[in-house]
Amino acid sequence: MRRIIIRRLVQIIPLIFAVIVMNFVLIHLAPGSLFDVMTSEQQITDPKMLDQLRHTYGVDQPVSVQLAKYIWSVMRLDLGYSYRQNAPVFDVIMQQLPATLILMLAAVGIALLVGVTAGVLASIKVNTIWDNLISLGAVFFFAAPSFWLGIMMTVMFAVKLGWFPVGGMRTIGVDESAFGAVLDVMHHLVLPATALGLFYAATFARVMRASMLEVARLDFVRTARAKGLSGGRVVLAHVMRNAMLPIVTLLGLQLGTMLGGSVVIEAVFSWPGIGSLLFDSVMSRNFPMVLGVLVLGSLLVAVCNASVDLLYLRLDPRIKAR
Amino acid sequence: MSGFSRRDFLMTTAGAVLASGLAGSSSAATATPKRGGTLVGTWGGFEPQSLFVPAGGGSSPYFTSTKVFERLIRLTADLKFEPVLALGIEPAEDFRSYTIKLRPNVSWHDGKPLTADDLVFNAIQYWKPISAGVTLDALQTAEAVDPLTVVLKFKVPVPEFFLKSVLAGKAGLVIPKHIYDGSNIITNPINNTPIGTGPFKVKEWVRGSHVEYARNDNYWNSGLPYLDKLVIRWWRDPASRSAAFEAGQLDIGTFNPIPAPDIARLTATKKFVAETKGYSNSAWITSVEFNQRREIFKKREVRQALLHAIDRSFIADTVFFGRARPSLGALHFSNSIFFTKDVQDYPFDVKKAAALLDAAGYPVKSGSRFKMSLVSAGWFEENVKIGQYLKQAFEDVDITVDLAIPDRATSLKRIYTDYDYDVAVSNNSASIEPIPQTTQYYTTDGIVKGAAFRNATGYSNPKMDETVSKMAIETDEKKRVSLVHEFDKLAASDAPVLPMVDLEPVTIARSDVRDHSLTADFMGESWAEVWLDR
Repeated sequence: MRRIIIRRLVQIIPLIFAVIVMNFVLIHLAPGSLFDVMTSEQQITDPKMLDQLRHTYGVDQPVSVQLAKYIWSVMRLDLGYSYRQNAPVFDVIMQQLPATLILMLAAVGIALLVGVTAGVLASIKVNTIWDNLISLGAVFFFAAPSFWLGIMMTVMFAVKLGWFPVGGMRTIGVDESAFGAVLDVMHHLVLPATALGLFYAATFARVMRASMLEVARLDFVRTARAKGLSGGRVVLAHVMRNAMLPIVTLLGLQLGTMLGGSVVIEAVFSWPGIGSLLFDSVMSRNFPMVLGVLVLGSLLVAVCNASVDLLYLRLDPRIKAR
Repeated sequence: MSGFSRRDFLMTTAGAVLASGLAGSSSAATATPKRGGTLVGTWGGFEPQSLFVPAGGGSSPYFTSTKVFERLIRLTADLKFEPVLALGIEPAEDFRSYTIKLRPNVSWHDGKPLTADDLVFNAIQYWKPISAGVTLDALQTAEAVDPLTVVLKFKVPVPEFFLKSVLAGKAGLVIPKHIYDGSNIITNPINNTPIGTGPFKVKEWVRGSHVEYARNDNYWNSGLPYLDKLVIRWWRDPASRSAAFEAGQLDIGTFNPIPAPDIARLTATKKFVAETKGYSNSAWITSVEFNQRREIFKKREVRQALLHAIDRSFIADTVFFGRARPSLGALHFSNSIFFTKDVQDYPFDVKKAAALLDAAGYPVKSGSRFKMSLVSAGWFEENVKIGQYLKQAFEDVDITVDLAIPDRATSLKRIYTDYDYDVAVSNNSASIEPIPQTTQYYTTDGIVKGAAFRNATGYSNPKMDETVSKMAIETDEKKRVSLVHEFDKLAASDAPVLPMVDLEPVTIARSDVRDHSLTADFMGESWAEVWLDR
């Protein structure tokens, strides 16, 4: 167990390295630089000032030197300084990353709960109206763009019914107790997490249904029934546990795309997460910030994937840690 | 006004009261302002990179910093200067020096008093080198005569309207010397929590969400601000802003906060008003630029022909849903001081365009006159549509068009650094005073490689340079207006770059938000007078 964790962690290092080099090259291939954007926005035309800023931003050095310097500073756990925000990259990201994490975790929770439940229901009631309705719903939520779903949910539940706030993460300008604050965030979280989670719930439901049907045909299920276990116990303890494996695989793969999908949902619900920061940073070619977000993002995805691997061991004892 | 007949209106005394209310702005004060409440505002763009960007940084930091920092004077909606931090700005007889009297008993948010030393610091170390740049090139010295009086000395005569316009404009914010002295103003981390003299203090900035301002209880204008709290919040999606308005979670949004089709829907409920006042000192245009470094576009007839080929009413009505007007000359129609109709116009006329192109030596050969690269700057959604429309319009006069709509950074680089375009679509916002924001598109010294929103066409005409130089030092207001007309005429007939449409941005506000949009650049005002009628 410990070996697998260590091995996974060691594998993260070349991954991060590749993320840095690839994205550094990509952002330098895109026309325009942070220097261009900043000086044009600030209307700086004085040649002396331009030279001074070139030096401050470090763009007076060759690209290879800039890359080497960046990698060296990341190795010392320093993500650099963002002149656009006038603050260290790490500080700016840490102000916004927790919001994205909360949204992602809530969306994963909703996706798993809704997806797995729907999949199990559909497989038990296979080829009935329930099965068809669930499949129809799954196709709908899979096909509907999440930003459209988000706007429709806002119009319905926030504007017309007034059950939920239209956006943001906290009620602004209200001082609450810690418990009140948690409730407040949860209240704001419902719509964005549902809009983001339903897309993944749709895939989970489809995969879960197929997987359940496949496992239900296996011999050990017949044995479980034959030895007199109740229908519910057979489904929950025998079929479902074994049918979960593909879901866990899928979950590991989709955590990465969920980080990307949250950018759109964050825009619709003005959720103060990493999405808007990443978007603005790409647009302004603010490469220390883009790389900082991507490095932390890939770290996050790598850690999630490692946890998924550990989850395999727990779910299926036949898989051995090697 | 639909509820009143004209007769009722004239006959009743109630009508007279209503008339005074309605004739002013929709938010004109007829009631006594009420104290208190929290106002949630936004604008049609995104979160700023920093709450205050000393050198400008675009509309978003301008919006957030002007609630904290104030200027010496401000320009009202009817284009009169009003005192803010200065009680008076008086020119000497030769207009080479100006005496500024500061308002007494003004203090910074940290309690230190505002003095003449602050002003000297701003003039020499902030305005001239950083925020105003070449605009204040003529400024030589700033000297504190007594603790509340400063004399600014210039190399040449400086027109009064010009100087006041600079001081009331984007570059004229007054920042505290005791905080910035000795530091690099541009990179000082305090710019994320600025300290000014304004009616609001920064309380908390939650990145990605909002900034909360608390009332400055020691504000020099006692009784103001009316609000207890101001929140500026950002949504990335216009449809979400409409939803926030409807759900009662947003009170006011400046600069086209919501999708154009939603404006009629929201105002029809009478719960919201749409206000177009409050933008004249930051008037936006969409312009077309012709690169003079290309042989074809160096010919004036070609530029004029292309202008005739564009249906500007179509752009105004279809692309902007009527929230724009076809331009005339180089100045925005809302510039009531300098605007003139007496300039060459380019009505939509495909036949005339074709004839001009034939005459210029570009007849149709095997289906095409010539090939052009058209770059439409993708920073506004409308520019995407305008780019597509221009491609069609130019193809209608048999020009082969290679259209590119790059993102912000690439557009800036292609148009203003690399000059890599034949025809470009761009935008800018201009103050009432045409120098330098408007003139720098036409003058030779406006050509600065890598500096955006100025002469990128390479146009250079000694007569133009001479007219603008005269404008810069003409101290007689009337003569100056006629010089601006002369400039505008030349700009319109030479047409190296011309506005296609003058935009009419709209502010959406709940109808119980009062006394907004009363100044010439409302988004950049302190909002001390805004109050809630609840």
